[in-house]
Amino acid sequence: MRTRIVFGVAAVVAVVVAGISAPVPAAAQRAAKAPSAPTPHWPDGRVNFGPLPGGKGHWNTGVGNLSETPIKMNGAFLVDPKDIDKVAPFQPWAKALVQYRLDTAGRDDPHPRCIPPAGPRQFNTPYGLEIVDQPEVKRVLVLSGGGSRSWRVIYMDGRPHPTGDDVNPTYYGHSVGHWEKDTLVVDTTGFNERFWMTRRPTGMVHTDMLHLIEHISRPDFDTLHYEVTIDDPGAYTRPWTASWNVPWTTDEVEEYFCQDNNKDTGQLVGGDTP
Amino acid sequence: MRFRFILTLSVLLTASSALAHHSFSPEYDSNKPVTLKGLVTKVEWQNPHAYFYINVKDEATGAVTNWALEMGAPSGLQRQGWTRNTLQVGDLVTVEGTRARNGTNLANARNVLKDGKKLGAASSETQGN
Repeated sequence: MRTRIVFGVAAVVAVVVAGISAPVPAAAQRAAKAPSAPTPHWPDGRVNFGPLPGGKGHWNTGVGNLSETPIKMNGAFLVDPKDIDKVAPFQPWAKALVQYRLDTAGRDDPHPRCIPPAGPRQFNTPYGLEIVDQPEVKRVLVLSGGGSRSWRVIYMDGRPHPTGDDVNPTYYGHSVGHWEKDTLVVDTTGFNERFWMTRRPTGMVHTDMLHLIEHISRPDFDTLHYEVTIDDPGAYTRPWTASWNVPWTTDEVEEYFCQDNNKDTGQLVGGDTP
Repeated sequence: MRFRFILTLSVLLTASSALAHHSFSPEYDSNKPVTLKGLVTKVEWQNPHAYFYINVKDEATGAVTNWALEMGAPSGLQRQGWTRNTLQVGDLVTVEGTRARNGTNLANARNVLKDGKKLGAASSETQGN
């Protein structure tokens, strides 16, 4: 079967966070970076989210925050604790739980225990991901380069989500997708509650009522734009949306398994947050 | 087992400035920077973090302790000039890093100095993790 690589994201990116980075004038940044090539397409007109045929590269780690309103961040934490109200329209219990997770420096995060980076977290986890388009079988696979090196399937054949007793809550849930011009639109339900759905801010909560709508596009060769709407009436008072860009890198994805020599579990004891 | 050590230990417990608390903060205490000098006893070139171990001698007491040093993933280290053979058992190194919160002889390495060369250790402290 011919497999077509559509996207990739992976690797390490040095995250320059607000408050600790040396300021670089915007004009200097623009001068330092060559203009991106245009969005590539396959001969059938479908957008190509991966390297050119015979080329190499993948999407690097996204540095965005799962936050409805842009806020100043210090790594995975809020610079101003009051900004928690700008992150999302939390229900009271959800806000209290996120606050606890921030206050304990994310020590209980399942991710360092090698739980899959599900939901939006797949797009800002170190070592990135690749997305493999299989138009012949109407599936898109999103392959995580980091974490537990796991993957999700997006069904592109028009099938509905399972209902009732057919729902088997999983980490990545049940994803169905379609194309709207050059944008891949993915609708996902059927999540379990055993993961934290983002890396930044740490500790964002969800329930098994979580419904995600993702819009994934490639506005130019070097940029993947990721937009996600979180619809979870169990944890939030209304649906809300966040987005960020994921940069292209010319490196190939390297092998990475969190499970290989993981010592973090006994070492995560908590600490002070900003 | 017999070890030969010629090492010094200098643990600096000075307060650091406002270095960011990335998600490495539940494991490591930014207020406890440490500089360790010792002979490499073991190297684990593996994910999710490469580790190496050194024997450190406290010159005041003569006591020798084995420290574990966490670095970034091998792919991150390669981008900073490392190969899997950069560190060998028996190498004398100086490590600049941050002590673990759990009180064990564990630190997160920020830089490793060997043969007069300083290599970044792809620390989670500087990777925004």
